[in-house]
Amino acid sequence: MWKIKEGSTQHWALRLVGVAIIFVAVIWVPTQMSTSRIGQFSDAFVLIIAAMSLNLVLGFTGMISIGHSAFFGLGGYTAAILIKDHGWSPGYTFYASAVIAFVAGCVIALPALRIKGIYLALVTLAVAVLFPVLVKWKKLVWLTDGAKGIDSVRYDDLPVWPILGELKGRDGRAVFAYWLAFIVLVVTYLVCRGIVKSRFGRSLVAIRDNETAAAVMGVNVTTAKVLVFGISASLCSLAGVLSTLRTGVITPEGQYVTLLGSIVFLLIMVVGGAGTLWGPIVGGLVYVWLDNTTRGFGSESDGVIGFLFGWADQSPATMILGIALIVIMFAAPFGLVGLIKKVWVKLVVVVPRPAGTSVAMTAVEVGR
Amino acid sequence: MKRISKKAIALTMAGALALAACGGDDGGTDAPSTDAPATEAPSTEAPTDSDAPTTEAPAPAGWTVDTSECVDPDAANAPIEGTIKIGSAMPLSGSTAAIAFAPVKDGYEAYIDWANEQGILDGVTIEVQIEDDQYNKDLTPGAVEKLLDSGVSLFSGIIGTPNNAAVRDILNEECYPQLFSLTGSKNFGQPEDYPWTTGILIEYSVESRAYAKAISDKFGGSANVALFTVNNEFGQEYVEAFEAVAPDFGISIVAEETQEATDGTPPVSQLNSIASKAPDAIVAVPLGAACAAFLTEVANAKAANPGWSPEIYLTATCSSSLILSLAGANATGLYTSSNLVDVLDPESAALPAVAEYIAYMESLGKGDIITTANAGWHTAEMTVKIIKQAMESPDGLTRASIINAARNFDQTGSLARPGVRLKSVGIEDPFYSESLQIMQYDAETKLFTDIGELITDFEG
Repeated sequence: MWKIKEGSTQHWALRLVGVAIIFVAVIWVPTQMSTSRIGQFSDAFVLIIAAMSLNLVLGFTGMISIGHSAFFGLGGYTAAILIKDHGWSPGYTFYASAVIAFVAGCVIALPALRIKGIYLALVTLAVAVLFPVLVKWKKLVWLTDGAKGIDSVRYDDLPVWPILGELKGRDGRAVFAYWLAFIVLVVTYLVCRGIVKSRFGRSLVAIRDNETAAAVMGVNVTTAKVLVFGISASLCSLAGVLSTLRTGVITPEGQYVTLLGSIVFLLIMVVGGAGTLWGPIVGGLVYVWLDNTTRGFGSESDGVIGFLFGWADQSPATMILGIALIVIMFAAPFGLVGLIKKVWVKLVVVVPRPAGTSVAMTAVEVGR
Repeated sequence: MKRISKKAIALTMAGALALAACGGDDGGTDAPSTDAPATEAPSTEAPTDSDAPTTEAPAPAGWTVDTSECVDPDAANAPIEGTIKIGSAMPLSGSTAAIAFAPVKDGYEAYIDWANEQGILDGVTIEVQIEDDQYNKDLTPGAVEKLLDSGVSLFSGIIGTPNNAAVRDILNEECYPQLFSLTGSKNFGQPEDYPWTTGILIEYSVESRAYAKAISDKFGGSANVALFTVNNEFGQEYVEAFEAVAPDFGISIVAEETQEATDGTPPVSQLNSIASKAPDAIVAVPLGAACAAFLTEVANAKAANPGWSPEIYLTATCSSSLILSLAGANATGLYTSSNLVDVLDPESAALPAVAEYIAYMESLGKGDIITTANAGWHTAEMTVKIIKQAMESPDGLTRASIINAARNFDQTGSLARPGVRLKSVGIEDPFYSESLQIMQYDAETKLFTDIGELITDFEG
């Protein structure tokens, strides 16, 4: 085991290495990988953003929401309607979606002031179920195009970004979608980090751990809950905008717009590690990789997969994905980030500075 | 570690997204080849011969695609030699509804194997790669990108309206033929905007017009009709199509009921509501297994309302005896339609081409799925016919010549009903299947009886 002091040269070097690895990886993907791989990363980023937003309310504040698919859809529909019906440039729809979803999130959070736990889960479940129905409602067809959905929503001409140069065709679109999703991901991460590390964030954790105690300590529980739900909804809607721009289509049947979407976001958050900043990132990358790999196994696969699942006479994708996720949860009950931390502290321990000199840090901070 | 101030976050957010915003669309249109296609002479209806499809010469002066706006025009006109790779995205795993489509892939691949064995394309080997998108439109672009990376030259038989829509823009921009999109939405007949994209299922409006006419004839020019549809894109398009034609046939729609695609419960209240209006006929568009549940509830509603006995017109997607047999005796007497032969009918099964299909599927150990795999076989067969027509064209086999062949096409398929032709004439007539046969089902024999003649009025 290697002990280093917080703020020492070694500590900074270690951090620098971490940052360098991430930096290289982020550049490597769009420059060195095939177009379809780049696309998979964009897909992962979208799910990560949604899972991060969910993490904010569920992981850090302890409010159970399975209604985030509705915010995802709200973002997607806002973008689609503004671009198709009102001729907006796609980039601006991020702001509009964020604002609209923030308001919607705050309103939906109101019941959360009175109820918690499983009852709140039910209310948000209703939101998830209601959203597609609302979109298909006859009186809203003029706006949403009903069950048919809206298609051909996208950048007609890709914006010219200074570093990327002129982008053409599907390769250009893939690279552009990657960077766009990456930027939104970074923004989402910074917002989450900013909140979690702030006084506001600590009050959220206090609410999660003991609401009464938090209120006694002077935390304004009402404001905190409503605000964090609004911010979370707002971030989730950004993922919806990205999804709509990537496929150009939004329909009320779309998988991430329905209840199933909420489950996928929840899954990613839990697999990665709830209540950690990096959890959704790790979870999202692993989930998308697993999903793509398992879908690649056809019903007539050879080798081990064919031997194990050939009898099913259909693609074993869903089955293998399910088994893999169960195994992960079994091996890492606190998510993959929890597992990484557990291994990490056996290798390196960062000794925090004495209290009073800076914000106290836990031994595992480096692992985050 | 310092806390990042809220201001900094706000600034980053604003800055980053402004980047995304600037330079977006300047009101410019994108669809690569919207600008008038080079030449169009639709009057020269290419093939004249009707029964020997393979000998037909492609139209010399038919519609041709404009490749000048393609991302890489040279690639679109580059000759394809030795091996041609077809790509598709279909649901192979995922929800139950999605898995129901899985046999389409088996039928598709079976035909390609068969065609290679028979040497249908002289000197060219056909490969097919089908990716799993779980009927989730968010997964379709990824599947298609993977196929493009692996050297696919054309796409055919992608299942689902939103799934096709999700890749339509990119395939048109890149100039890859997207043939036979398995959707009946009229959105897939826009050759001006999407010259590289074509559809195959019976367009919903064709079927609703045929049903409206049949009902009108039956009830002497005026009838009360109730609509029962699945509440999704498919159902909505159907309702709109039926509402549009109903007045032409003196039909008044007295009730419109819907059922959620995900709703597994029998549509009791919907049928009660319909029964209270006592319509002469019900036009029903349920989805998959819901077809049988609907028929059972109709029987219950009839039992509860003596004297009321509506005619049932069921959409073509329910017209599989596999699905209808689930409803037992309640399915007797209903009307439905199709433009493919019923492979379970001994008379049809004796046709040489159909017998060949059944024998080949059985040789693969897949005799149990012949009623659902036929859509895949049929789509693959028509795709290969287009490729063959492209090979024989003066341009030789290129991506551009494939779409030109697809848009100047008039052939029959071995599983199509006698007389049904898949025909497309330039941008004038972008829809292939516009003829269909109305049939009546007998639950006892599990067979369909043709009612009237094959309807071909809508062709063109």
